[in-house]
Amino acid sequence: MDTLLLARLQFATTTSLHFLFVVVTLGLVTLLVGMQTAGFLTGNPKWERLTRFWGQLYVINYVLGIATGLVMEFQFGLNWSGLSRYVGNVFGAPLAIETLVAFFLESTFLGMWIFGWHRLRPVVHLALLWGVAITAYASAFWIMVANAWLQNPVGYQVRDGIAHLTDFSALLTNPTFGMAFGHVVAASLLTGGMLMAAVSAWHLLRRTPDHALFRTSLRIGVVTAAVSISLVQGFGFAQFGPVATAQPTKFGGTPAADALVAEWTTTFGPGDYEPPALSSVGLGFMILIGFGLGLLWLLVPLLWRDWIIRLRFPLWLLLLALPLPFVAVILGWIAREVGRQPWVAYGLLPTDRAVSGVDPGVMLASLIGFTLLLGTLAVTNWVLLAKHAARGAADPPLGRRPDHRPADDARPETVLAG
Amino acid sequence: MELAWYALLGAFFAGYLVLGGYDYGIGLLLARRTAPADRRATLNAAGPFFLGNEVWLVAAVGILFGAFPTLEGELLSGLYPAVVGALTGVILVTVGVQLRSRPAGAGARSAWDRVVAVGGLLAALGWGAVLAGLLQGVPLHADGHVTGVTHLFTPFAAGVGLALVALVAAHGATFLTLRLPAATAVPAGRLARRLIPVALAAVGAATVLGLLSEGVRAAAQRPAVGVLLLALLVAALVGARVALARRRPGLAFAATSAALALPVALVGAILWPYALVSTVDPAASLTVADAAASAPTLRLLGWLTVPLVPALLGFQAMCWWVFRGRTDGRAPVYW
Repeated sequence: MDTLLLARLQFATTTSLHFLFVVVTLGLVTLLVGMQTAGFLTGNPKWERLTRFWGQLYVINYVLGIATGLVMEFQFGLNWSGLSRYVGNVFGAPLAIETLVAFFLESTFLGMWIFGWHRLRPVVHLALLWGVAITAYASAFWIMVANAWLQNPVGYQVRDGIAHLTDFSALLTNPTFGMAFGHVVAASLLTGGMLMAAVSAWHLLRRTPDHALFRTSLRIGVVTAAVSISLVQGFGFAQFGPVATAQPTKFGGTPAADALVAEWTTTFGPGDYEPPALSSVGLGFMILIGFGLGLLWLLVPLLWRDWIIRLRFPLWLLLLALPLPFVAVILGWIAREVGRQPWVAYGLLPTDRAVSGVDPGVMLASLIGFTLLLGTLAVTNWVLLAKHAARGAADPPLGRRPDHRPADDARPETVLAG
Repeated sequence: MELAWYALLGAFFAGYLVLGGYDYGIGLLLARRTAPADRRATLNAAGPFFLGNEVWLVAAVGILFGAFPTLEGELLSGLYPAVVGALTGVILVTVGVQLRSRPAGAGARSAWDRVVAVGGLLAALGWGAVLAGLLQGVPLHADGHVTGVTHLFTPFAAGVGLALVALVAAHGATFLTLRLPAATAVPAGRLARRLIPVALAAVGAATVLGLLSEGVRAAAQRPAVGVLLLALLVAALVGARVALARRRPGLAFAATSAALALPVALVGAILWPYALVSTVDPAASLTVADAAASAPTLRLLGWLTVPLVPALLGFQAMCWWVFRGRTDGRAPVYW
């Protein structure tokens, strides 16, 4: 086992896990903003109950987003010190902006939102959730700017073997950025919508209390997912042109790809410059899932007169389809990231030059350790999510009045009461 | 320009040690508190601040990556075991605190509390070892890479790690004295008063180990500044002890906060103009100026982020203001 392979495995594991949680975060927070705003404008208590129930799931999911994100951030320095050394001047900037401008505020707002129920004025509390959502989108924006730069380095000049920033606006107009950002955001909304529809479907199938509440969230989930899948498909296919131009070797077989490989062979020496087949396999299956989920539109007419609930089998379909968007985002990520190999920064920095000079034994220990740690935490988190989803909207801990004794905590909390 | 960014980096990391420090401190103290209600009260004392505290680390590493990319790569990979230990601890605390109250069973909750306590210990040990690793230098070669990991395992690194554990424990107890309902704050205050001499002893022991360490003696560029800042640290701890005895928890908390911020200033000042000192090749040592990103990157970051720093601090201050005062029956409980 060499350090490079281990470092790549670790990056793949951490990023995949991170992605599974952040798509839910981004999708759910958007729907939560809609629900809490509706509650603020109409004063209907239904919306507050929906916000508390879905907010509870959102907050549990968020925990692992942070934990995996922390490992992501440190991993660049721990395992990929060549990345910061050779291209840190350019690549580091959007990441630094993301942490300061977006994530720092997102967490600060979320802490206040969680503890601000019944304490802050409703308008302030609502504004905090808007703040969480806006900074979450800003976060996705800057991370995609950074990723798009690795896909297609622009706006830099190499001096003494090190890339220096020359034109920041080029990073923002990068052809591998715009459509990909739209694609990721739409995929997040799709995942959030599907999650909402599937959990609601479960409650409606089981005929748990709160029929009216879950009927509402089912409708929101189905409509969001249907609209999003079309956006996902649109932004997805719109990327073929720019990506084929920016990365001729990704799909291969063209004169441009051959010319590029010949050029790299002269500059960087002979080597295998074709991306692994895994990349196109991932792309193929993702497109299949994308088309399959397009059938969500067939469920939309069934919302009329609640046929979707009365027929029951559409609810089963929604429930069974829940894993699909998660599988698709991982496959899409594989298509994008593996399809860039053997480069960290396409055509500029080969992956093997970016890896840290760490001993393989240390890297192996780190890979096993973090995979076990994050894997265990992820599974625990999903179990807790499922339990809270199944428990229903009767009295979620989020937003519980402080003077109510917690239903899940039978012991009298003398300290807190005193 | 590099100095300003270096100071900002230091400020964010120091801010993290102060704010994250009391999270880890109260995490450690969970091990001593056995009644479930006490534990819950302890965690919810940090309640609304918790998420806002942990992000100071994320911001510090963001600045490190954006403004000092070379330092980021060599520092993190050069101190691999310490950083991995600290990171593991941070993850355990972050996840443990947020999830511990989600299962309803008492057994699951107390298992999570153990996770939080272990996490707090690892985080404090790890960051202490990182600071020690900076002070004793790393085997940085002329090609810019650090080799091996064994250089980190020294008595000095262990000493600083333990000193940081003692410091966060005292800091956490002081925070609880300030924040818990008046009735339960009294035992917390007694505990804090007992922990401060322990922290003083641990800092003293780490200092002695540092003076005995060849690496530290060779790496220190300005020992006089180091002595001065160390004296300030000791004074802050003594001040905290006095303030606790006089029942001035706010003042005591300010003093223990200073005690957690000062080690960062000490490391930065004692090594200046270097950011990372090489133990094998003096010419390979990395100065702050060499470690910084090139001028266009720093200018861009300056334009985009510095105007927002007041907003970042403003929203954090809003959080502290909204949830100020002691926790009581009206305080929301979520963790």
